[in-house]
Amino acid sequence: MGLVTDNLPGALLPLPGGGALLTAIDQVVNWSRANSLWPLTFGTSCCAIEVMMATGAARHDLARFGAEVARPSPRQADLLIIAGTIVKKMAPRLRTLWEQMAEPRYVIATGSCAISGGPFLYHSYTTIRGADEVIPVDVYVPGCPPRPEALLYGLLTLQKMIREGTTLARPGEVRKPVLAALPDGMTLHQVRAEIAELVQETATVDRAAAATVGASYASASRV
Amino acid sequence: MATSLLPVSGQALDAQSLVAKIQKLCPAAQLRPDCDRPAVKVPLAHWPVLAQQLFASADLLFDLLETHTAIDWVQTGQIELVYVLTSLQCGHHLTVFVDVARDNPVAPSLCAVWPIAQWQEREVFDLFGVHYTDHPDLRRLFLDDDWQGFPLRKDYADDFMLERPS
Repeated sequence: MGLVTDNLPGALLPLPGGGALLTAIDQVVNWSRANSLWPLTFGTSCCAIEVMMATGAARHDLARFGAEVARPSPRQADLLIIAGTIVKKMAPRLRTLWEQMAEPRYVIATGSCAISGGPFLYHSYTTIRGADEVIPVDVYVPGCPPRPEALLYGLLTLQKMIREGTTLARPGEVRKPVLAALPDGMTLHQVRAEIAELVQETATVDRAAAATVGASYASASRV
Repeated sequence: MATSLLPVSGQALDAQSLVAKIQKLCPAAQLRPDCDRPAVKVPLAHWPVLAQQLFASADLLFDLLETHTAIDWVQTGQIELVYVLTSLQCGHHLTVFVDVARDNPVAPSLCAVWPIAQWQEREVFDLFGVHYTDHPDLRRLFLDDDWQGFPLRKDYADDFMLERPS
């Protein structure tokens, strides 16, 4: 079977001359929604180039995940990628664009500025402190700017949210896959503490180890 | 000297002869030695006449106003207008500094000499509050029309701004 049918939600029964798929309507609808996100590219500054355009281009190739059909029109798009700083004058325009998008609609905020105002948090007379002050955001992709891989991960996270999210039986319910995937008995607080410990560990330079690494490079280059 | 994008028809002058020529046109112009490009400080009263001469004079030919901005000096009570000029025909550059009083910032518009000054003066008006006389359309450019105050002035503050917690 091909790649498409491998990932179909449900049980596929191969029969001579075709097959039968045993599934739920909800699952098929969510599966198709998740795999054909059409992004509205809302790029206002450097993140648009560093993340959004780079992700759409050949090397990172957003088309692998079905989200390459970038729409400049909100009426044809269902995913709003905010890439860049939102200022006071732009905020009403962002809100208008989001309101023009048809349901279901999803929002990814990429980069520090779109998440919190980033470097313009303090002493700025015009920067909005996060796009979520204007519209609801589904997935945050941190970084200044994030790597294109980070946006791809954000997109995959959103796809997971869509597959596990709203159905006919649970209308309007959005499930955060990050929380849903936590093992039993583990809390978000524990995860944060563990990440902080790891960051502390990797941010500390072991001078002795660094010296041996340098020495091995030096001897390798002599050979 | 930087290379020109257009066919160079004039003669590029070095910094010394450029400043000498300008001081001949306007004796009140002073050399600013702390700049990496030829730069002069011109009194406000002489500036509109000198601007026209810089544009039209056959061996200067400053045909491009590259940028126009301002610096707010709170301590001395001045707003310093900065004009960066380039001659595409000769290939030389010049920076002109003009002081206006901070409590009454009025300067003549240079739209008649360089039409691009319309946009640049609107920007300086928007952010520094410098009023240009004879400007055809002096409105807000980047900020909302009903904005109060001029945010690039050093003493600007509003309720929206956050102070960094110490």
